[in-house]
Amino acid sequence: MIRGAQRSVWVLRLVMVLGPAVALLAGEGAGYTPPTVLIVVVLLGALLAALRPEHLSVTVIMGLVVFWWALQLRSEMPGVVLVVAAGLMATHVAATLLSYGPPSLPLDPQLGLLWVARGALAWLAALVVWVVARVYTGHGTPSLFWLAGLAAVVVAAVVAGSTAPLHGEGRSR
Amino acid sequence: MIDAGSRWQLTGSLGRALAVGGVGLALALAIGRPALVVVVAPLVVAGALGLVHKPTHEPMVYASLAHLQLHEGQGTRSRLQATGTEDVEHVARVASPQPYIAVHPHEGALGHLLRPGEGVAPLEISPRRWGRRLVGAEKVALTSAWAGYRWGPTPLVGREMSVLPTLTHFRAGGEAPQPIGLIGAHRSRRDGDGTEFSSIRAFHPGDRLRRINWRVSLKEGSLHVESTRAEEDAAVLLIVDALADYGMSGGVESTDSSLDVTVRAAAALADQYVGGGDRVSLRVLSPGGEYVGYGTGTRHLRRILILLSNVRPGVPRDVAIDQIDFRTTAGTVVVVISPMLSEPLATATVRLARRGLPVIVIDPLPAGTIPSVHPDVDDEVADLAWRMRLLDRSHLLARLASSGCPVVPWNGPRTLEEILRRLARRGQVPRVGGGAG
Repeated sequence: MIRGAQRSVWVLRLVMVLGPAVALLAGEGAGYTPPTVLIVVVLLGALLAALRPEHLSVTVIMGLVVFWWALQLRSEMPGVVLVVAAGLMATHVAATLLSYGPPSLPLDPQLGLLWVARGALAWLAALVVWVVARVYTGHGTPSLFWLAGLAAVVVAAVVAGSTAPLHGEGRSR
Repeated sequence: MIDAGSRWQLTGSLGRALAVGGVGLALALAIGRPALVVVVAPLVVAGALGLVHKPTHEPMVYASLAHLQLHEGQGTRSRLQATGTEDVEHVARVASPQPYIAVHPHEGALGHLLRPGEGVAPLEISPRRWGRRLVGAEKVALTSAWAGYRWGPTPLVGREMSVLPTLTHFRAGGEAPQPIGLIGAHRSRRDGDGTEFSSIRAFHPGDRLRRINWRVSLKEGSLHVESTRAEEDAAVLLIVDALADYGMSGGVESTDSSLDVTVRAAAALADQYVGGGDRVSLRVLSPGGEYVGYGTGTRHLRRILILLSNVRPGVPRDVAIDQIDFRTTAGTVVVVISPMLSEPLATATVRLARRGLPVIVIDPLPAGTIPSVHPDVDDEVADLAWRMRLLDRSHLLARLASSGCPVVPWNGPRTLEEILRRLARRGQVPRVGGGAG
């Protein structure tokens, strides 16, 4: 796990440790200060997750960060949430890249570039949602209404993906 | 090396994206946190795209080796042929670590994007030591686009291969002490149809006209011909001591154990003599008791090399070494490759020499060899025991030398050249008695 790991794997592990930390501490300047205990738990969990990218700890750490922000933010839409989204997405991409093979497998540069592009593309969704939310703020529209609309669009994408016609479904082995 | 047992499964990456994204959305809706939608939107998109790219084709993978037999140090390629890869975006191959098998890339891990029309990159494999080796065992994992689904990692069993000892091609200039066959490259003691000049003598009926030396004939006034030495083959018996393996083997171009030197020396000598047209036999002293009778030619050499690659060290249980019938005939050159740490083998060697056969002992024990011992054994005791064995060995070697068996350390295929020349000269000296059995 540690011995024999490639240099590119160590870089991805570093991203996995920094990603949740950035997502948690991004609002420090804007007055969103997480408790020290939470910082320690997230960092320790991120360290464990960096060594075991397929482990449930990655999901738990990301979930903790999301939950903490759920407690902090109410109806406001600060720009820092884009940084939080970027931090979480970077963690997810790094964990995904690490899960392609054992630590002895060096990162294929083309695969790395592909996932950087994918991460940026996915982050654009956060930017779009943020811009839409900022535009609609103060227009008198019930917040739950547009929130439900945005959520419905994303959920529709998930449902569409899962219910798309799959020719190989049920094929006996 | 076909696998059809795996199936596509949801990856941890997709599960994480859906779980965190779903929980974030649910929280956003449940407690009215619009900013959470922004936070989890990239994960939801990644999860959705992973689901959309759910594979519909079941792949089949098949790994094949470019060569089925190799010499140690040679290399081959393991190619992965795959069908049903329409949904595959990335392929990862990880070779199972095997003793004395080197793999390139380093650590045997290889992964790349699979582009349409392009094959999977091969793994380069090189066995580093002779013997039966499992080559080509690996695990393969295929991943769909957006890392939503993974097929495997699924193990592909390798192929057990006879890795032949390395050969140093060398054709000896030395002559056999007592060549007795009909054909071959060794100079005979009698005249015949060879190429090497022997003498000029008076013409006899039956001599070929092209042999007439006209200058001498004119000078002497009668016909004289140039006679040549006949060329004959020799019988060579290689006795390989595989009773034990002393020292650590690091594979080819690294540290050698005594059995490494033994097997490589036997292979080199077999190649040398078979290539020279001699009849070569091989007897291995091991639990398997491997034996190849006298023969010549490329196929015979291959038989010897395959048998050498299958040697496993150990003491034969069903036969006493000093009672073995080595099936020697008169004139057979006997080469015993042994560290001479066995008293019965030394006795058997002396017995062969006393039958009048030219016997040479090749010492394969590398200098400074320290045998591996059980971890529970005290190092000092083991060291003392080993020194006592080496002392016994030096007595045995001295006894062999005094019995007329030259003992030489293995120093490549030229090792026997000078010894054989000396034995040939000794063989030309008339003597009384001697025989073979």
